[in-house]
Amino acid sequence: MWFERKTLAQDIPAVAELDTRQLCELLASLGFPVDGVAVRDGAEVLDVDITANRGDAMSHRGMAREIAAKLKRPLAPIPVEPLAESAEVISVRLDGSACPIYSTALLALGEGTTPGEAQAFLLALESTPKRLPAVDASNELLHRYGHPTHAFDADRITGSVAVRWARAGEALVTLDGVTRTLAPQDLVIADEAGPIALAGVMGGDGTKVTETTRRVLLESAWFDPKTVRAAARRHNLHTDASHRFGRGADPAMAIVARDLLVERLSAWCSARLTGAWTVGTIPVAGAPVRLTGELLTRVAGEPLSLAEAGEGLKRLGCAVGTHGDHLSVTAPSWRHDLSIPEDLAEEVLRLRGYACIPSVLPPLEGPPQPLSPAYLQRQRISRRLAHLGFHQTVTYGFISPELDAAFAAPGNDTEGRTLSNPLGQEYSVMRGSLLPSLRLAAEQNLRQGARAVRLFELAPTYASGSKGPRESHTLGLVWGGTLGGEDYLTIARPVREADLTGIATALGLARLPVVHALGENLFGAELLVADLPSAGDRIIPWFRPFSRFPSVERDLSLLVDLGQSYEALATAMTAALPAEELQELRCVDVFRHKNLPDGRQAWLMRLRFQADRTLVGEEVDGWLAAALAAAESLGAKLRA
Amino acid sequence: MGHLLPAEIIEAGRIFAEALAACGDMDALLRVKGAYVGREGSHAALMMALLKAAPKEQKRDLGAAINSLKQQWEESLKARQAELETVKRNRSERSANWDPSLPPPVPPCGALHPLNRLMDRLVDVFRPLGFHVEEGPEIETEAHNFDGLNIPEDHPAKASSDTFYLAAHPELLLRTHTSPVQVRTLLRVAPDLAARGGIRFLAPGRVYRKDEIDPTHSPMFHQVEGMLVGRGIGMQHLKGTLEYALRALFGPHTEIRLRPSYFPFVEPGCEVDVSCPLCGAQGCRVCKGSGWVEILGAGLIHPNVLKYAGIDSAEWSGWAFGMGVERMAMMLSQTPDLRLFFENDQRFLKAMGGLD
Repeated sequence: MWFERKTLAQDIPAVAELDTRQLCELLASLGFPVDGVAVRDGAEVLDVDITANRGDAMSHRGMAREIAAKLKRPLAPIPVEPLAESAEVISVRLDGSACPIYSTALLALGEGTTPGEAQAFLLALESTPKRLPAVDASNELLHRYGHPTHAFDADRITGSVAVRWARAGEALVTLDGVTRTLAPQDLVIADEAGPIALAGVMGGDGTKVTETTRRVLLESAWFDPKTVRAAARRHNLHTDASHRFGRGADPAMAIVARDLLVERLSAWCSARLTGAWTVGTIPVAGAPVRLTGELLTRVAGEPLSLAEAGEGLKRLGCAVGTHGDHLSVTAPSWRHDLSIPEDLAEEVLRLRGYACIPSVLPPLEGPPQPLSPAYLQRQRISRRLAHLGFHQTVTYGFISPELDAAFAAPGNDTEGRTLSNPLGQEYSVMRGSLLPSLRLAAEQNLRQGARAVRLFELAPTYASGSKGPRESHTLGLVWGGTLGGEDYLTIARPVREADLTGIATALGLARLPVVHALGENLFGAELLVADLPSAGDRIIPWFRPFSRFPSVERDLSLLVDLGQSYEALATAMTAALPAEELQELRCVDVFRHKNLPDGRQAWLMRLRFQADRTLVGEEVDGWLAAALAAAESLGAKLRA
Repeated sequence: MGHLLPAEIIEAGRIFAEALAACGDMDALLRVKGAYVGREGSHAALMMALLKAAPKEQKRDLGAAINSLKQQWEESLKARQAELETVKRNRSERSANWDPSLPPPVPPCGALHPLNRLMDRLVDVFRPLGFHVEEGPEIETEAHNFDGLNIPEDHPAKASSDTFYLAAHPELLLRTHTSPVQVRTLLRVAPDLAARGGIRFLAPGRVYRKDEIDPTHSPMFHQVEGMLVGRGIGMQHLKGTLEYALRALFGPHTEIRLRPSYFPFVEPGCEVDVSCPLCGAQGCRVCKGSGWVEILGAGLIHPNVLKYAGIDSAEWSGWAFGMGVERMAMMLSQTPDLRLFFENDQRFLKAMGGLD
């Protein structure tokens, strides 16, 4: 919200003694950071950030009050002569408690327009003067004193006025020209013909003040914040008035603001008062809040005197009773945010300045907790994969149903994972797989000219369930492009499915469950983190003795069918070999060539044996023969 | 005389040249050598056995054929071996004419995501103070995301214009902050809070808000939440902890500044500024000349939050803070566009995330 420095200084003259930077720092220390400073037509204005709980500060008067309390300097009184209340000229009826007080006046307007000074003030605050005194004065008062008021064209009001709940089917054309269908929860100002304003939000078009308006009926009331907030939200109509009533205006200002408005209209356009009257009363203040010295000391971090605290709260307008070990504090009518002792403690600290709070490390009362194994496991996986050349990605948890369908598990229906209000269809389903997002990221990298792309993501995937989607931490991997060929020692070759399969061993797995071909030389895999082996409870594993005798390595070149399953062959050969002595059995080379017999390929199997003794040749020959026999039983032949 | 040899020997001889050419290193060559001229089980050994068993009248011719074949194989093997040795020597960097400054093979190097790296760093900073990590689901209940945090029934953040909801489960939403982890954790530890002597934890994670994607907004982003509950905890402990943590992050000369602010789940509430880590508080573009940058929001836990979890606010109190990870990452790195963090370009990831 914009504030004019000159106007602030009228309410709190001490502002004139501060330079701009000092003023900004003062406001920030009170909880009102200044987002910007500008000079408009010679007037310095500040853009001040006001939190939602401080509706009372949304005016020059409110901000001046804060500065005065902080600086311990006097606040100028509001320059107003209270009007004598008259009998009701037009009957005003209040239905229910959402509007406890409604102060009004009927005036006949004379000649004259909004004075230049008031127009300049509005312009400086980015508000456009309408050059209609009743409208501009109301607007000026809003920025000046924070109390929204309204002027109706009295000659367009039919009969008496009521503040009541809207009836089903009623409609109102608001000042912005939009027809609003009203709900029974909408509080309205109505005449005998129907609603003429949405209470606390916006006036009606039919009764608005124009150049031809001769008589005005003023409104300076107080409306229930919740009711106003709900109406503003329901009609998506957020106005200066709804912001202030919605955050809680000052009911005690209802009569004062009416008097100020009457004064301005008299001065600006020689308006003559027909009558000024008020219906209802200011709501009674809530029960006092008890602030103990103990709580204050705990929050503040050092002993503070209750007397000093009470003095500060009084400067903020509170009524304070002192009772030995505690204060009983009644908030002023403009503060709706002081309902618990902690609120009061905050006020005391705010006035002292948060800079006074001591800095102390909290004592450790109990033993600290270790990091959870699940968290540590994900940390370990991330680091290991990064060291293996994979880049960690962060992609959105929602994707399009089309992308999702490609990899989500069968039976994981999208309905249970769909958002009701997505940003768009492409972000509408909580993903059942990480692969669609990883594939897009990989393709994007390759399109951008990357020779190789190696990505991983650790993020939840979602499975539909009766109670809502279940989340599982999932690891997704993609690898594509070209491998090697970036130095004089290695040869370039396309990435193969087997490259990704080999990563499994780095994750402690014998194999990856499924490797998906995601594109040309682009492969992906994903698995639940819960399915990965964890480090277990042991700090380091049990010692397992190992032989210090030399091992014997033998190669067997086998001709096998092109359709031969390696796993079946290796299993059969392993079964034929002594488990104790066999250290390793793996295929180290595949040879496919037109000179080999049709439908056959050659696999070079390497076998390594070791024992707690020196192995003799005959022994190893025997094992080799057994392994060969096992291979032959599956149709393999020793390659000559 | 070739007709005297068995077909498989002839075939072996026929593919010998190819097999030899396919040998890329000495290991492969030795395997071929073993298969052809090895002492046992090789083609040569087989031929010698044939020769021994052959009728007397064939021995002469067969012997000549075998010798010629063996000699041819042995010479070729020797030649190929010499070739491979030359290649090996050439590739040896100790070779006289090999420039050691030629680019060497570089081991593969990936990267952690910069946002994860920053979150890990925060965890590292808080570990020595006894903080551990708590986590919670990204799909949350309205109760955990709002009600348990003293957020009023009609708060605008609950609107479907601000928060994503699940179509089939209207009570479920995508958490809008990491604060529901507070609620879950407090509910869990409340029964044995005294035995534990309070609790202190960080909750890093992903959160969602209904913002259109632009250079400064993303519908998904990261937060790190911190919380401490103990006896007699006040603002001084919040200040002390943050001063320690922010100095650990930004350097020992870092100053912090608390300013009053408002969040429904804390009272008193504050914003925390840190002396600009980029200019050393001298005043720059990042701190807009003020020397300060806003880094996080914090405060003492609102009694209603403790009450919701079943914790007696007369006995226990605590503080909580929440910080935006992207915001901090952008500030520290001067990354101009938030979307870069979600594009996952390897060049960005390598440069910004790297490895520890």
